[in-house]
Amino acid sequence: MPELPIPIPPLPTLHESVFMAIALLTVVGAFLVVAARNLFHNALGLALTFFGVAGVYFVAEAEFVGVAQVLVYVGAISTLITFAIMLTRGMMYGATSPLNRQAGTAAIIAATVFVVMAGLLGSLPWPVAEEPIVDGQIVIANLGVGFVTEFVVAFLLLAVLLLVALAGAIVLAQDRK
Amino acid sequence: MNNASLELNIVALAPAASMVIFALLVMAVDVFARGTRTQPVRAATPWVALLGVLVTAGVCVWLLGQPVTTFQGMAILDRYSLGIAFVVLVAAGLSILVSARYIPRVNAQVGEYYALILLISAGMMMMGAATDLIVVFLALETFSLGLYILAGLRRSDAMSSEAAMKYFLLGAFASGFFVYGAALVYGATGATQFEQIAAMATNPATDLTFIYPGIALLIVGFGFKVSLVPFHMWTPDVYQGAPTPVTAFMSAATKAAAFAAFYRVFLVALPSQQAVWGPALATLAVLTMTLGNLAALRQSSLKRLLAYSSISHAGYILVGLAAGSIAGVEASLFYLLSYAFMNIGAFAVVTLLEKQGEMDADGARLRGLGQRKPLLAAVMAIFMFSLAGVPPFAGFFAKFFVFAAAVQGGMSWLAAIAMLNSAIGAYYYLRVTVVMYFNAPDAETVSEVKSNWPLNVGIGVALAFTILLGVFPSLWTTLMESGVVTALALR
Repeated sequence: MPELPIPIPPLPTLHESVFMAIALLTVVGAFLVVAARNLFHNALGLALTFFGVAGVYFVAEAEFVGVAQVLVYVGAISTLITFAIMLTRGMMYGATSPLNRQAGTAAIIAATVFVVMAGLLGSLPWPVAEEPIVDGQIVIANLGVGFVTEFVVAFLLLAVLLLVALAGAIVLAQDRK
Repeated sequence: MNNASLELNIVALAPAASMVIFALLVMAVDVFARGTRTQPVRAATPWVALLGVLVTAGVCVWLLGQPVTTFQGMAILDRYSLGIAFVVLVAAGLSILVSARYIPRVNAQVGEYYALILLISAGMMMMGAATDLIVVFLALETFSLGLYILAGLRRSDAMSSEAAMKYFLLGAFASGFFVYGAALVYGATGATQFEQIAAMATNPATDLTFIYPGIALLIVGFGFKVSLVPFHMWTPDVYQGAPTPVTAFMSAATKAAAFAAFYRVFLVALPSQQAVWGPALATLAVLTMTLGNLAALRQSSLKRLLAYSSISHAGYILVGLAAGSIAGVEASLFYLLSYAFMNIGAFAVVTLLEKQGEMDADGARLRGLGQRKPLLAAVMAIFMFSLAGVPPFAGFFAKFFVFAAAVQGGMSWLAAIAMLNSAIGAYYYLRVTVVMYFNAPDAETVSEVKSNWPLNVGIGVALAFTILLGVFPSLWTTLMESGVVTALALR
């Protein structure tokens, strides 16, 4: 058998191939967000991206973050955006060009950022854990305990923040003048 | 998790907690007023809010006598956090007085307005008390979210809506910068608590590559909130579009809150990197003072004039942080307090110059005010002199202390530039006075000045303290030093 000119890279493991599929899905979704001409398709692309990111969390064995991502981003934010588009007249069926006069400049900036980020991330020695860092069950329990002990100030402040949002929503929604 | 190590000193959160309780009370009063349709009860909401401010001020005075307490390394009660709480309370109290007759004209949701003012103040106090990046971020969001809403209080008005939208979008963007910066600092040091960050940053084993972009992004995040040049673009539009009492509150209280956390993050968590952020902040201070003052020279709208003036004042205050010393911190605290009195006073006078249905006043409306309303003109002149930094008023000592701190910190050049800038600033402040006294009133520009007693009380208090702090600046320093709480947690 003749020697191949290029050494064949080792086949990806199952874990890696799942990650690659999910990463591809995420990137395709992100591309749809900026490239699709119909705003509704943009929104669907965004939902796809959110799903992909959730998948990455699951692959990284951060189940809790993954579930939170699906609940908050896919469940709430995507739905909200879809509703906003469907309820706004002329947005649902119109096709607009995603490019304007600043497209060239934006492309240059985006390419620069990509090169810098890729270079930076590629040059870093990333620590790889030998075994799973955390056990999913314990993480969620720790989160709960943390909220009422170590991070109780943050938890309380979060409650005030939500109260502000609630009062603000009333002010904005019920202006009778 | 070891529960024995928990230190849940609720007293460290007392000022903010007191404000939240009164906010809930305001909401409750508002609900009952709505049920019975009795006008007098509804009119009570500003007074409940004002009571909340006074009670909280009392709590703060009592806390001055208490030892320094920390809450889980997340928040702290020290002289500094109480000082910021006092500034926020002054701003909130004066704004409530200015709002009492103004807000019902603008929006029917009066009860929520006062509740939001109190909740925002609580968030701002937490900015002064926070000793952890997570708490800083949450406090920042709490008060910012409330301010976005208050800026757009008058929904029928296009400028108010534009102000709210602009503030919200840019503010959300700036928050993103802040979080990214905090994440990078956490990534470099593995800690969000200031003391731990400081310990890790001085540890030679720590890889500090990521702390530098982190510091840069934190400066952007804070710089937006205190409107430093080049992150100031939103300021004139938002200040002009927001209802005037909200602008008054925003200008004084947001500065205090954002500077509070700005100082603590940089002086407690990142003192070892001062060689990096010191010059950067000094440069920003120069840019901010100069551009703010030069742009203010060309404004005809009074609110835009005060907006650019507020940008330049952010530059003066930043001089205190660039000095990087305790003297600089105390000088800035005094500056923030004086600024709250004189600037809210000036905005209160502006509300009297607005025509019915408007939320801004052109500078031309000041013409001949000296003859039409001599007392009002004299009051406005005093606020302007104080903002310019003319001696017997609070603004003079505010500038004096900050510049002195810069000189002590070996930054004489910065103090010199700041003094040059005060001279430029004096031009447009004094021009306001000239227009009031030396220009004849036009028939067209005479507007109906309607005063009311809560506003007059507000202006009176602002005026009294603008003069008192100018004559006896020791009033404030004595109050702050009277307490047992001596250890400023800044080292």
